[in-house]
Amino acid sequence: MEALMAVVIGIFFAVSVYLMLSKHIIRILLGVTILGNAVNLLIFTAGRIVHAVPPIIGEGNDVPNRITANPLPQALILTAIVISFSFFAFLLVLAFRAYQELGTDDTDEMRIAEPENEPVPPLGY
Amino acid sequence: MNVGAADMTLLAMALPFVAAGLAPYLVRLMGHRAAWVLALAPLSIFIHFIPYAGLVANGRHVTAGFDWVPSLDTRFEWFVDGLSLTFAFLVTGIGTLIVLYSGGYMKGHPQQGRFLSFILLFMGSMLGLVLSDDFLMLFVFWELTSVTSFLLIGFDHEREASRRAALQALVVTGAGGLGLLAGLLLIWNVTGVHSLSGLLQSNEVLRQSPYFLVALILVLCGAFTKSAQFPLHFWLPNAMEAPTPVSAYLHSATMVKAGVFLLMRLNPVFADTPAWHTILPIFGGMTLVFGALLSVRQSDLKQMLAYTTMSSLGLMVMMTGFGGEHAVAGAVLYLVAHALFKGALFMVAGIVDHEAGTREVTKLGGLLRAMPVTFAAALAAAVSMGGLPPAVGFLAKEEIYSSLWHLDPWSLTFLACAVIGNALMMAVGFVVALKPFLGKRPHALGDVHEAPFIMWVGPATLGALGIVAAIAAPFTHEIVSSPMVSAVLGRASEIDITLVPHIGPPLALSGLTIVVGIVTYLAIAPFRRAVGGVLRAIGWGPDRGFDQFVRGLVRFSHAVTDRLQPGSLEVYMTVTFVAIAAALLVPMVVFGELPSMPTWPTDVTFYELTVMAIGIIGLVAVLIAHDRLTAIVSLGVQGFAVALLFMLFGAPDLSFTQFMIEALSVVILALVMTRLRLAPSDHRPTGEKLSDAAIAIACGAGFMLYLMRVTEGSFDATLSDFFARYSKTIAHGHNIVNVIIVDFRGTDTLGEISVVMVTGLAILALIRIRATRTDVELGDNDPREQHDPREEGSHGKRTYAGVEAE
Amino acid sequence: MIMHAPPLADWLVIAPIVLCIVVGAGLLCVRKTVAVHAAIAIAGLVLLVVLDAALLWHVANDGPVTMTMGRWLPPFGISFTVDLLGAVLALVSGIAALAAGLFGLVDVDDSGKRYGFFPFLFLLMAGVSGSFLTGDIFNLYVWFEVLLIASFGLLVLGSEQGQIDGATKYAFLNLVATTLFLIATAYLYAIFGTLNVADIAEKARAMDDTAPLATLGTLYLLAFGMKAAAFPVNFWLPASYHTPRIVASALFAGMLTKVGVYALVRTLVMLFPSERAELAPVIAVVAVLTMAVGAMGALAQSDIRRLLGYVVISGIGIMLVGVAVAGEGGIAGTVFYMAHSIVVMTALYVAAGMAARAVGAPLSITDLAGLYRSHPMLSALSLMLFLSVAGLPPFSGLWPKIMLVRSAIDAGSSWLGAAILVNGLLTTIAVGRVWVLAYWQPAPTPGMRREKPALAIEPGFWTEYLPLIILTGLSVVFGLFPEAMVSASQQAAVGILDPASYIHSVFPAGAVP
Repeated sequence: MEALMAVVIGIFFAVSVYLMLSKHIIRILLGVTILGNAVNLLIFTAGRIVHAVPPIIGEGNDVPNRITANPLPQALILTAIVISFSFFAFLLVLAFRAYQELGTDDTDEMRIAEPENEPVPPLGY
Repeated sequence: MNVGAADMTLLAMALPFVAAGLAPYLVRLMGHRAAWVLALAPLSIFIHFIPYAGLVANGRHVTAGFDWVPSLDTRFEWFVDGLSLTFAFLVTGIGTLIVLYSGGYMKGHPQQGRFLSFILLFMGSMLGLVLSDDFLMLFVFWELTSVTSFLLIGFDHEREASRRAALQALVVTGAGGLGLLAGLLLIWNVTGVHSLSGLLQSNEVLRQSPYFLVALILVLCGAFTKSAQFPLHFWLPNAMEAPTPVSAYLHSATMVKAGVFLLMRLNPVFADTPAWHTILPIFGGMTLVFGALLSVRQSDLKQMLAYTTMSSLGLMVMMTGFGGEHAVAGAVLYLVAHALFKGALFMVAGIVDHEAGTREVTKLGGLLRAMPVTFAAALAAAVSMGGLPPAVGFLAKEEIYSSLWHLDPWSLTFLACAVIGNALMMAVGFVVALKPFLGKRPHALGDVHEAPFIMWVGPATLGALGIVAAIAAPFTHEIVSSPMVSAVLGRASEIDITLVPHIGPPLALSGLTIVVGIVTYLAIAPFRRAVGGVLRAIGWGPDRGFDQFVRGLVRFSHAVTDRLQPGSLEVYMTVTFVAIAAALLVPMVVFGELPSMPTWPTDVTFYELTVMAIGIIGLVAVLIAHDRLTAIVSLGVQGFAVALLFMLFGAPDLSFTQFMIEALSVVILALVMTRLRLAPSDHRPTGEKLSDAAIAIACGAGFMLYLMRVTEGSFDATLSDFFARYSKTIAHGHNIVNVIIVDFRGTDTLGEISVVMVTGLAILALIRIRATRTDVELGDNDPREQHDPREEGSHGKRTYAGVEAE
Repeated sequence: MIMHAPPLADWLVIAPIVLCIVVGAGLLCVRKTVAVHAAIAIAGLVLLVVLDAALLWHVANDGPVTMTMGRWLPPFGISFTVDLLGAVLALVSGIAALAAGLFGLVDVDDSGKRYGFFPFLFLLMAGVSGSFLTGDIFNLYVWFEVLLIASFGLLVLGSEQGQIDGATKYAFLNLVATTLFLIATAYLYAIFGTLNVADIAEKARAMDDTAPLATLGTLYLLAFGMKAAAFPVNFWLPASYHTPRIVASALFAGMLTKVGVYALVRTLVMLFPSERAELAPVIAVVAVLTMAVGAMGALAQSDIRRLLGYVVISGIGIMLVGVAVAGEGGIAGTVFYMAHSIVVMTALYVAAGMAARAVGAPLSITDLAGLYRSHPMLSALSLMLFLSVAGLPPFSGLWPKIMLVRSAIDAGSSWLGAAILVNGLLTTIAVGRVWVLAYWQPAPTPGMRREKPALAIEPGFWTEYLPLIILTGLSVVFGLFPEAMVSASQQAAVGILDPASYIHSVFPAGAVP
């Protein structure tokens, strides 16, 4: 089962990487979203996948009465989802502001911080 | 030595630094007269070391110190023997006179305090250098002399030539210092010894090591750069950009001798090895001859002296490496003589410059009547420099000639070098000492006075010492040079030195030297033109090479950096993902961590396959989408497929969160995309599409394969079992995931909340702060249409409420 | 299952983090009342330094200290385990943050303060301290994210074009780096089933060769190498470090990359020593290339902030030498160099900031000409820092370099030692040129030289010079009296190479349940 999931995850990664290799910020952002999903699936699979009930202890029991899904990856993913969503939100606003300030969403045209053809520094003393 | 004396030595070593700290304040208080007070510091150190002379003359040495960095086996340990004591006397004795001289020379200069401070800093560094026993201590002081020399050469920092000379000296001597450090660390590693005194006692290990030659060459890098050996000499003449007291003190009397000091110190370790006896004389001999020839070419008093200093350093290196007791004695005597006469002559040059306003020898003349004392000092120094009796220079030259007088080609070659070098140096010495004072006085000079006492006391003392020391030769030798010779040889020396000339070849060679010297003196002007012509014909020298090196280095670095940092996020991302693909695939192949061939899972259900397929279709649709609606919808599809997968495999909490986040992301993205009016479709050329796809597939495959591999093994479920067992009983929660988040791993959640909080603030800052520059056409994307940026409205917050509500 | 209440002193372990979050949140609440920021922030930072110092004292005397949150027996809860490595770096970063905070009082305008300069600073420090102090690898990821998002905030504070541009590149590349860290951690979890560092250390040593740890080690190397700005994944640093307010650059240059190196030491050296040995040739090559790229980049710049960015990179290369050769001397050298780099790089940016304020011009080498004459105090401090960063005595850069060169020779990789020394020479040329051109060279038109700073804020000694004096003084103290740092880093190295005491502090009973 993990192997099958691994194939799916691999495809998720490949697509997100392809998108992130774009010049256009908006496509990079799409890639970031997919990357987050890929990572979450990866964490989930890392804790092994079983067809099992959710990790919830029923009323009247002190411990789950059946094998449950591994709860720890789920907790980790919950943390990671929120963090990656925060980042996504920030990046989105950043992209928006970049478009406003720099007038482009093509990263090759963003040359304010590292301008093209910078002069050689002074060679004297 | 008792504890008190050791403490006093430490105090003596610290004193110059204390004085350096006080110098600016003293100068502010009492003007140039502060030099009198500051000169007490080196003077008292000089006096402190006088009693050591008796000890050392008896063949003893003194070591003392304390642990400095015990964890690195490094001690602050000083080692006083004949060699270091003589150097200590030179450093502090000449230092005393130089401080006084600086008081007069720099009188009225707005930064005289700073200058004296730097001079004293150098003095402390140089004193530490010659007294150091521990390798690292030696290196620290060695580099400190380079740094202080840098500051002093560049003292006149508003002139480009000074800045260039300073940087050049720092780079050349700094590089040599690093070579020295490497050599010392290598020796430490090979022998396990980390002090000079220790090394002197156990040099056999080093000699038999395969690293012997490497260590020797590295140490020589340090010594040759510092002592300006050809072809690394070029920084020394340029260093004459420094004020004259600096030239007199650092660049003739003391610092440039640090290299010779090191060679002499290590002579017992390396002597009798072929490398030592080959490399040193060859480089020394070349330096001697080239320096002498180049000095003749100059017409600036300081430049002439600078090149003869280079020449003299070559002579000392040559003699140290030539080997034999007489050669070492010659080197030692010459070293002492040189410190005295060259210090004096530089100070004379400075006085002439100071009083007459020029140091161009062709513009000077007839100053004898105005400056009799200065002339006397110059003459005494020149006699010593020319190797004439009755001066120490004569004693040195006699020893040198007698040690080189062997009838084999090797010795005769160096003998020839020595004769040529000495003759030319003699001529130059007398040009400096006589030409400005004799002859007719050019009208351009105007009114010239004798220098004040504070300035002529230095050259006069040094000049007189050069004569007195020679007249009292047996005493001088017993107290100063004999212990030093013994230290350099590593065994007791039994040579006697007197002013009575050795009748025989050495005396004849002296005669020859004098004749050649006088001829050169008389024909100095045509000689100068001739050498100048040859140099112009060559056209290139290491000095110009330095500029080419620095410029080339900067240009090359600029070109490389331009390529490596092209400013394109796409390039950065591409390299990053190539690195990721490599980091996954290469070790998996190299270290055999590929998964075994997976089998089709037996328990997979149709629903699961369908959901996976939907997700993949969503992904592909995002890739090929040509309009933003398709892209967004497809993005949503793959997200919801992920959520469904979570649901299917027992993670309803996750599934729910994923649904929410995905919906939110899609909505925000849709909002932003409509406002940005951007085409989401791709515009990559086909070739780039292919290479990007290859990288993407490599990354995807890497993640996939490694995930297969790590999930092949059995899973250690200790943690999860624990959580299942105790969620209810101890933490009182039914939902284990929730219990983990809020209790077992609550701190993660604390961090997560911090992230969300900061994100909100960062977004706020991003939206609300507007740079003053607003010339970009914002159009309908301008959020200021909705609200005034200075007004803290709620609109912006509401748009991103999702962030803060999380 | 619940342990006895921990002794009060053990609470020190998390005190720096809690303090940073609490003060950060508090400042957020009063963000519009700019007037009170200074007092709260400086008091908070001083307290942070005090807590870090107390923590270091505690750790130095009693060995590694573990504090498990919620008192869940490790490895189930999140443990904060502080050894000498973490404690030393936490303290040095705390001092650097204090200095930067003081400088921030004048460097950041009111709008910057209103939009959260100090909250960002404190959350950054929460992330940095959390990274140094935590004993749980997923928790380390969380702190990485905290400091990363805080650095985003600092980076865009001002919203200038260059900042937005730099931030875009910085943000995407760093997102990839932390995501890679998270991915590696997921793989790690799949292999070990645990996230507690001590637990992993023990299990990794017990694990047979069949566990696929080499790839895991490589992933961590890449992820943290990227955070540390090692070649060839160093792009984000030169793309962004020169864009924010200089105080933000100072904080970044001091801490961010060093957290990456720290994490590399913690994971690769402590958790996966045999994989580190397998990867050593790669790390060595990366180290040398990073040094080369850093030194050449520094030589190629006119803008001092960009030049300093490359100097940071060059220092990362030096630190990686220690990771490549490992051994007590190598790791100790890396630890010392980290501390040195935190102090000196922060200070160099602060000095550059003061120079910029003094001249009121962009920080090009030629624009700054004449500082030696107009600002002797600043010049003296800058010169010390230049010498220190070039590794010349008597400043802090020398000793770790000596340790690293020696350990490289010991390990039979003299070429690594040679690379460090050549790098030192190139750095000397680069900073020497800055000194010659920007400080010594007279201003082109002396009449134009502004004796007063161009900005409206008067330079106060306490705010302008105090931070620089603190940091430069620290570099001088480390240079003249290196014994304390040397022995601390050696002990830290011993603790990393043989984590027995670290593990014992987490599992006093010995066995993992």
